[in-house]
Amino acid sequence: MKCLLISSESAEVLFHWTDPEFQQNVQEQYGASQEDGQGLPAFEDSISTLFAPIIISCSTMVDRLGDSYTSFTTENNHIYVLHQFDECLYIAVNGDGEEDEGDLRRKIYVMKKMIEVMFGMVTLSSSLLRKELRPQDTEQRARLWKHLQSLLETYSHLRENDQSFLVEAVERLIHPTLCEQCIEFLERRLVQQLNSSVERAGEEVLHAFILVHTKLLAFYSSRNASTLSTSDLLALIIMAQNMYPSNIDLDDSNPEDIDSTSGSGPESFYTPEPSPRDGDSSSSADMPVRGSTPVFEFVDPDVQMAEDSLHTLDVPPPDPSTPRRVFLEVSLKDGLYPMMPHSMYCLPLWPGITLVLLTKIPTSAVAMSVYTFLEAFAKLEKRLSEGMEGSAATRGQPTIHDVRNKLDKFIKALGPSEMKCTQLQHVWTEFKSRIARGGSGFNRDLIQSCKNMKTQLCGIYRQCFLIESGPADIPRRLSPGLQERAQTMVQDKLMDWKDFLLVKSKRNITMVSYLEDFPGLIHFICVDRSTGQMIAPSLNITERNTSELGKGPLAHFIKSKVWSLVSTTRRYLQKGYSTVTLRDGDFYFCYFLWFENETGYKLEAGDIPVLPDDSAPIGMLAWDYYRKLLRYYSKNHQGEVVKCYELLTVHLGVIPTEVILQHCRQLASKLWEPSRNPLL
Amino acid sequence: MAELMLPDSRRCNYFFLYDGSKVRGEGDQTREGICYFYPEETPLDEQELLCGQLVGTARCVSELSSSPVRILRLRRNKFSIRVKDDFFWALGCSVEVPTISVCELLDQLINLFCFYTGSVRQSYQRNSKESLAARWAQYLSHLQSGSSELHHIFSCLRTIDSTNVDPLLLLKAALILQACQRCPLVLAGCILFRGRVVSTQMSPELTMKVMFHESETYTKPQRPSAPSTFSSFGGAVGSTAVFLTLSELQYVQSAPVDKAFSSHSTPHKSTASKKTRLSRTLSDTPSSSESEPSDPGSSQSAQKLYSPHLSDRSVLSPDPAAPRPLEPPLSNGTLSPEAEEEPQEESFYYSFHSNGDGGSRTHNEGEMPDPPPPRSAAFDLPEESPPIPMTLYLHRVKGLVLALLVEPHFLSDTASMEEVYHCSLASLNGLEAHLRSVSPGAPGAPGPYIFAHLDCIQSTLTSNLSGRPGGAPERPFVRATSLLHSHFCNTETLQEAIIRSAGAAVYGTRSVAQETYFQQHGGSLRNSGIPNHQDSAFSLPGKARHRLLKHGVNLL
Repeated sequence: MKCLLISSESAEVLFHWTDPEFQQNVQEQYGASQEDGQGLPAFEDSISTLFAPIIISCSTMVDRLGDSYTSFTTENNHIYVLHQFDECLYIAVNGDGEEDEGDLRRKIYVMKKMIEVMFGMVTLSSSLLRKELRPQDTEQRARLWKHLQSLLETYSHLRENDQSFLVEAVERLIHPTLCEQCIEFLERRLVQQLNSSVERAGEEVLHAFILVHTKLLAFYSSRNASTLSTSDLLALIIMAQNMYPSNIDLDDSNPEDIDSTSGSGPESFYTPEPSPRDGDSSSSADMPVRGSTPVFEFVDPDVQMAEDSLHTLDVPPPDPSTPRRVFLEVSLKDGLYPMMPHSMYCLPLWPGITLVLLTKIPTSAVAMSVYTFLEAFAKLEKRLSEGMEGSAATRGQPTIHDVRNKLDKFIKALGPSEMKCTQLQHVWTEFKSRIARGGSGFNRDLIQSCKNMKTQLCGIYRQCFLIESGPADIPRRLSPGLQERAQTMVQDKLMDWKDFLLVKSKRNITMVSYLEDFPGLIHFICVDRSTGQMIAPSLNITERNTSELGKGPLAHFIKSKVWSLVSTTRRYLQKGYSTVTLRDGDFYFCYFLWFENETGYKLEAGDIPVLPDDSAPIGMLAWDYYRKLLRYYSKNHQGEVVKCYELLTVHLGVIPTEVILQHCRQLASKLWEPSRNPLL
Repeated sequence: MAELMLPDSRRCNYFFLYDGSKVRGEGDQTREGICYFYPEETPLDEQELLCGQLVGTARCVSELSSSPVRILRLRRNKFSIRVKDDFFWALGCSVEVPTISVCELLDQLINLFCFYTGSVRQSYQRNSKESLAARWAQYLSHLQSGSSELHHIFSCLRTIDSTNVDPLLLLKAALILQACQRCPLVLAGCILFRGRVVSTQMSPELTMKVMFHESETYTKPQRPSAPSTFSSFGGAVGSTAVFLTLSELQYVQSAPVDKAFSSHSTPHKSTASKKTRLSRTLSDTPSSSESEPSDPGSSQSAQKLYSPHLSDRSVLSPDPAAPRPLEPPLSNGTLSPEAEEEPQEESFYYSFHSNGDGGSRTHNEGEMPDPPPPRSAAFDLPEESPPIPMTLYLHRVKGLVLALLVEPHFLSDTASMEEVYHCSLASLNGLEAHLRSVSPGAPGAPGPYIFAHLDCIQSTLTSNLSGRPGGAPERPFVRATSLLHSHFCNTETLQEAIIRSAGAAVYGTRSVAQETYFQQHGGSLRNSGIPNHQDSAFSLPGKARHRLLKHGVNLL
């Protein structure tokens, strides 16, 4: 029984996701009074009515007591977690014991992250975000919500089944030679060719990577690209998985099956998962660059050809030639720019293997300017609301005169044709007239003007990057032909490896190779938090597959132990404990977090901040805890590159503790030794 | 000592009881439903706000989940919630307090109220809001007072430091209680010294409730509303009405105190005991009752006696085959003397009762379950069944208090009262003198290690931390202990854990019956945090086993 709800302060539902049990529960409570005919509005109404008292009470508590609800627990162990981001209240509910408070809080943060990736800086203006999340048009709304729901389900599925999403770090396929070849291929052949083509329509490929299911085969960033953060990469993998879900049962079928269906067998291309994703095809239309134009209407001979050559079947995948707009963090020399617009091209090579291209769009400089202005106004607003006035409020970089000049130029550059621009100009003129009086203009009265300016800037941003209309904008993407060529190039390259890769992704590394050296070791996970990469023996638990853990209940049991160990150690880490050992039933669990410098020298354990229970979840997907931790720790290690590692192990309880600790030590040093580094 | 507990002096930030039945109509104001609100100085509109919001939200959530709300957490406070009929209790603590402790505190508070006041609904029908508000305030301040933070985390009883006390004194205390129990109207008792348990025959929960009254009479002996005292006993004896839940009563009755002494269901045996009672008191049979256990080459049973909470343990052991070292020698092993005496005793029984309340016998029979059902370990929420009125009898000798749960008509039974009074008086005086002379131990010297050992069955805590301020050096230990305790409570299969922060490594281990926490001081904790078997943190289990033996904690 699960639910996730996003609501405005006035209890307007901005998004909801419920599993069938929760839906049934709500409908039972609401009785059959609602008309059956209109499924969605009726359900939306009832869920809104049921949650309204809680939502209203939340804002009352904030307004009048300055405190807010964080969670509720009932006697039958239903858990409600609440979190407010600006004016949006997120409520996550679990009533089946499958998720704890931490999981629910994480889900809320992940949902917020996905919304940020999809809407960028529009999320900074609550009023605009509200409109974006709840389009007036019910059909459009249904499509958007369906897409978000399916993203959420994809995430939940990955978190429950994929170790890399359990610990929130990227897992690479361990095959150094092939990886190297692929990276070279991406660099020398693919990206170069794409970026020198005229058909790229001003876009520039910054990153290219190949995913085998959720695992990374190769990742290449062009030289002038900033690093793609782990958080963004994980979010993109979720999106790719959502577009082309790995059908576990299919993938785990016998190798013969794969052989028979490989190549160009029509049945193999895309088998949609039966129940929750049945609306996937329609959901694809929610975020195309060309606004609300349905993708299906787009009939392009090139695309048609591409589809023919791929033998796409009855349920077509979302049109791959329409890129998705994603907003990712960019770090440049002059600072960090969050939520910069990119286009994401997700090109399926074979079922389970996907090529992802991330491009910089020609107008992205606008986004940087908008961000700079937004930041300046936010700073000013903060100082004003702290009671500063006059020159005290305008101190700091950039100076208000700087901003003034730049913004004047910016507005001029945008040109009068933009509708929003006239509004921005209007508000800006008003703002200028207020501060024209010099220092005396900077007082509390200016706060509202700051807010207005921010909203206007977000509006411009929305207009530039979320809705691009008019036929003139069509060529703003890699041409379908170019995309197809990229697809074919990589397919040719990997043709001989394809089956191997699909198997390898299921058995990246296996416990077998460790049993001899580490008797009694059942499982381990090792994470390099500085690069956001992890390595762990595969834990495949399917009916048909027998892993080293055996199959059936025992394997499930160990899997559940590993999952709960991760959440337990996170709880201790949140409270400042970086070493945890537990004797639990027949098992002995260890967790270590430590720091090293670049040369591998182990640094002294430092204080780890103690965080409140309702702090952001520890991980890298929704909020990069480890980046903050490294920054905190590096304060005492100036001039040194600090790396952070984590190791989790599961041993049989009968193994003496000294032996277990020796194993841990060996694992910790071995796994990341350059000579044996399996991640290269 | 209270000053030393400053950081924890206000464990509870908010507490209120709200009666939803008072706010039904449109025009009813929230304030009419507020029965009690703590802190009392809170402005009324803030009280209304908090009550209104929490009650409303809780109701909404319970409707969604078809189950009452247990915990409402806010950013700065967490509230434990109890709902019973129209009553709504909420107790708010700072978020650092473990959730389980917040829930226990609220349950203790409600249970305390029900123990001394009876059914909540009836109390509010019979008494004024103000007088009951005063009660809530007393109970709350009692539960918040004194004890260390560790006591609060574990919600355990405060006991005398048994390591400083001659075990014979504990034995003596247990014997006094046994002697009192020979009066059929006495159900069970406990002996307290300066607010700490010396010996008890009751469950930890019940003992905790009794301790409230003791501390009230001790700190405010002249309270006008104080329960009746008996002038004939020089003001040292008092009593108050109390209410037991059905399960508590069954538990007390089913304790393996010799069934022969229990009057309710077995009149024959109880009358048989009468003679024993009248002929023997502790003070005049020192030879028989003390010779056996004080024998140095003691048997297993005698060794058990040295356990500071022996009588408690014997009460809790439902196994009839277990050794019962404290039984008077006369009844030890065989029931035949009683069988022989039966006819004769029966007549005595009636004569004994005729001077008191003649009808009480039948009255009792109608009320008491017969035969007593087996003891249930679960303690229900109060008021699951109507509370059963009983009387708490208190006999104070300076800092020492003998508290007995007695049948209500005990008070009108002068003979029984005199008997209980006189049979225990001399022993209590002696015990008090001895306990008073015991030096409170050397609390100062902080040892090379800190430990806390919780006996989950008796709900008692042994620690070398108690008595010292909850100051900076112990903070890491208390914090780790509180986290580990919550983890143990939530994960049944967890047996032991070592957790280490930059400043401290703490080892925790538990079995069904106990939880032990250990931290070694000194020695550099500096390390890289990378797995290393030579790391001092991993030698903690061995050190704990070793060091704690001398505190009577066996981790082997």
